[in-house]
Amino acid sequence: MKKRIIIDTDPGVDDALTFLLALASPEVKLEALTTTQGNVTVEKGTRNSLAVLELLGVSHIPVAQGTSLPLVGPLRASDQVHGQSGLGNARLPEPTNQPVPQHAIDYLIERFLAEPGELSLFAIGPLTNLALAIRKEPRFASAVKELVIMGGAIREGGNITPQAEFNIYADPHAAHIVFHSGMPITLIPLDVTHKTMLYSNQIDRLKTIDSPVSRFIVDATADYVRYTESKTGIPGCALHDPLTLATVIAPELLTFEEHFVNVDISGGVSTGSTFADFYHTTGVPANMKVALDVRGDDFVELFLQRMENF
Amino acid sequence: MSRHNENMTPKRIIIDTDPGIDDSLAILLALASPEVILEGVTVVHGNCSMEQGTLNALAVLELAKASHIPVAKGCELPLVQPSLLAPETHGNTGLGYAQLPSPGSRPIAQHGCDFLIEKIMSNPGEITLVAIGPLTNVALAIRKEPRIVQAVRETFIMGGAIRHEGNTTPLAEFNTYVDPHAAHIVYHSGMPITLTPLDVTYQCVLRAEDVERIKVAGSEVPAFIEDATRFYMEFHDEYQGIQGCVINDPLTLALTFAPELCNYDEYYVDVDISDGVSIGKTFADIYKVTGNPANMKVALGVRPRDFIELFLDRMEKLSSKIP
Repeated sequence: MKKRIIIDTDPGVDDALTFLLALASPEVKLEALTTTQGNVTVEKGTRNSLAVLELLGVSHIPVAQGTSLPLVGPLRASDQVHGQSGLGNARLPEPTNQPVPQHAIDYLIERFLAEPGELSLFAIGPLTNLALAIRKEPRFASAVKELVIMGGAIREGGNITPQAEFNIYADPHAAHIVFHSGMPITLIPLDVTHKTMLYSNQIDRLKTIDSPVSRFIVDATADYVRYTESKTGIPGCALHDPLTLATVIAPELLTFEEHFVNVDISGGVSTGSTFADFYHTTGVPANMKVALDVRGDDFVELFLQRMENF
Repeated sequence: MSRHNENMTPKRIIIDTDPGIDDSLAILLALASPEVILEGVTVVHGNCSMEQGTLNALAVLELAKASHIPVAKGCELPLVQPSLLAPETHGNTGLGYAQLPSPGSRPIAQHGCDFLIEKIMSNPGEITLVAIGPLTNVALAIRKEPRIVQAVRETFIMGGAIRHEGNTTPLAEFNTYVDPHAAHIVYHSGMPITLTPLDVTYQCVLRAEDVERIKVAGSEVPAFIEDATRFYMEFHDEYQGIQGCVINDPLTLALTFAPELCNYDEYYVDVDISDGVSIGKTFADIYKVTGNPANMKVALGVRPRDFIELFLDRMEKLSSKIP
């Protein structure tokens, strides 16, 4: 049975790779994209979503545009990691399609309430749309079959501040709302995504296939690899967002634990940091499954195979 | 005392509210004032639950024979903070000792935040928003449709305490404390705001002898006001040592057509959303140390007895019009 999914996204290079992986995976049926600010502005995110779907010949998949600002903080979007367009060096034609007229918040509410317990939500950007949907429609949280989040860093250091991972840091208050909403959550934090490095020499494998998809991947990841190398010395880029799909296509590669996970919204230096109550000190019951280990190389190999056979 | 200028076009207003005793008085004041046209009520959690507040809004409109005015249900929780209601202040029903018949009318299907967005966007420059509860609905509307901050004519907010102590924590006023993150969103949104903080509202005390004066025979309105405010006065006496009750929201409403009741200063005002003892506290950059430009007009001086007299006069007129 195909898993029917909606992806909330801020594309973003690794977001775009996630769309590719979803479309290359028979286990998954990608039903819609909803965009948020994050890696890029929401307008760029919408444009990139439409452009990538057109590249892949799936323009029938609806895109709904969401919020342009995080709940409280300033916009954290920048050109640094994902390039000016948000898709690195990839130059895709202007999309001919439009997003649906409905706001992403209302699109999510409508889709999930129409088929409660049937659709899975994959959140690979800041959680602003989800938080507002939860607060606008109290029945939304229980209508979601499962929510898989790329975000957070449990035992791992942060990638935007010393303690915080970008998606959560870009809207910690939204993360707080989602984490405490009662939705069944699976968290894919930096602890595992930092172990799924797509190296330059592996990207080279795709260069031999000279297809629009392989060219897109090579171009999109070029800046991302350069940025990672400049920060860490590693000639590669982490497949943060695509790893969320491992929960569907290769769950055996991930090791999960159930914990109460919270996010710091105090406004001090720990703002946006996520932490798990490993020793049950709070007495609060577990609110999510957290992936804490992964066979990263195996996932990257699986990703490459799917891309090669696109 | 304000003069009703017959030549001025009435202001089209929407009230976002958590009714609530003084919220209900603000609704009645709007209905009693030809200077404003009340075009809708959007309900938020706060003094009571959003569901109870919705029933109260419908019931108060029915009391005033104004059931044609749409009521839209809004958010039932603050954005981030856990729920905080005020039954000790407004009673279990939110209307003190007042007992109104169950309303026959229903709220509209549209969510309050979408009602706000639609009214403001389809009438650019025309709609005045009077926000007298926690700002959850307004914040959600702004994040969903950022252009409402330019399209709204002006926004009057009851909230905050600038040089005044808090009424919910030592530092924080109730509306802001219940949803400080929503207040943060609204304060920094670019909306044209007039803030009516405790600094001015706490000078506007409605006393038992004032309420006595609204005795219009054959009307249910004075009895409603008397029953609602009696509970409110008992709260003020027991918890705050005040003889009478502070009517925050009606003052905010009055400023939409009688701005001369207050003196204003323009400041950059912010709200503390850090997780410490100051959460929900509002403060103004009086000495311009942040370099941030002013983001609102703040009412810091008021003529309380002029306001109370205006309020009583309008309540008497409203009661005379309504059986």
